[in-house]
Amino acid sequence: MDEPNRLRVEGLHRGFGRLKVLRDVSAEVVAGEILLVTGANGSGKSTLLRCLAGLMAPQKGRIELRLGGRLLPIDERRRAVGFLSPELRLYDELTCYENLEFFCRLRRLDPARGGQLLERLELPQDRPAGVLSSGMRQRLRWAFALLHRPPVLLLDEPLQNLDAPGRAQVLALLDEFLEDGLAVVANPERLDLPRMEKKLELRR
Amino acid sequence: MSSAADGIAAFCGETWAVLGKEWKCELRTRYALSTVFLFAFTTLVMVSLAVGPIGSDPKNLPLLPVFLWLILLFAAAAGLPRTFVHEEESHSADALRLSARPASLFCGKCLYNLTLLLALELVVTPLFIGMLKLPVERPWDLAAALLGGGIGLAVGSTLIAAMVSQARSRGPLFAVLAFPVLLPVVKLAIEASLGAVLGEPAEMALMLVFLYDSMITIASLMLFPAIFNP
Repeated sequence: MDEPNRLRVEGLHRGFGRLKVLRDVSAEVVAGEILLVTGANGSGKSTLLRCLAGLMAPQKGRIELRLGGRLLPIDERRRAVGFLSPELRLYDELTCYENLEFFCRLRRLDPARGGQLLERLELPQDRPAGVLSSGMRQRLRWAFALLHRPPVLLLDEPLQNLDAPGRAQVLALLDEFLEDGLAVVANPERLDLPRMEKKLELRR
Repeated sequence: MSSAADGIAAFCGETWAVLGKEWKCELRTRYALSTVFLFAFTTLVMVSLAVGPIGSDPKNLPLLPVFLWLILLFAAAAGLPRTFVHEEESHSADALRLSARPASLFCGKCLYNLTLLLALELVVTPLFIGMLKLPVERPWDLAAALLGGGIGLAVGSTLIAAMVSQARSRGPLFAVLAFPVLLPVVKLAIEASLGAVLGEPAEMALMLVFLYDSMITIASLMLFPAIFNP
């Protein structure tokens, strides 16, 4: 039987100049589980997720993403994960569909996948991303994160700006994803998912 | 399909996707188009009004390719540094890092800058020749100099723009970095263009231009992943 997908962090350190944000952070999460990362503002939740996504290099420690037992090098890890963060923006000049079509082409996916996600998240296909409301922008970030059916989701403030129907839609998508995927969620608010949860509290 | 052919097809598809996206965004905002073309046109008119049709006097001929390349260089320097910087400022760079392979991303951006520069050369050069009465004895050599110089400028500018996008103070950095990187190709392109104007063989200068292009392309492809990704 295949080894389950696994994300492991060991002794992670990351700072900015003299400010030490992450100090000796360790955690492990396997397919079907959610790791909830909590902590006060400035405790390093977003920094941790950026390190896990390969968007920021840790100063010390190890991050291992194993898919089917195979350890992914950082370039592959970066392209494998689904990442959502409040800072992430797509191209304002392109419509929702054009944005997802572009990222589908970069990943060699059928552009129809973007259309399906837009429909599922009730996003207008032909509206430029630059004129979307904050809630719709968040839905578009979800579509971007799930576009390539990633094995791992890294979600920073995933429910930010979403209204009640929006929350229900993304939670249904997350629940489906967790059938065989694993997720790390920072600032989780109330997820209300009947899933195996692990908790990691970061301190300033 | 073999894995090598599959890899090449994937690379070409991704590069084409980046090029298409760049032009689509540009045609909707017209930031680089208006900057580059307005800058070039204004400089061309100023030079033309200041010195007049000096190409009719043979002793002025060595000056004219210098003017032409100065116009092209400064127009490029005004518009091309936005590559990557725009994405860093609008926070869409992370989406690119998570989705694109560095080589295809660099080549797509580079091709966009090259097509923009070639379009600029196509408009500016005939106007320059007409307004300053520049005789061109070997037009195909001039075309080769413009192509080779354009490739060097596009690749060098794309690499420098990637470096600048990662810096905190971006203002003067492009000019500082561009000086050592772009100076050799501009110098060689001026030599090759002068040969074309005077009707003298310019094969050596042209060969060096294309040699520079090959070297800067290889160096850029090696450096870019380390510059763009953390």
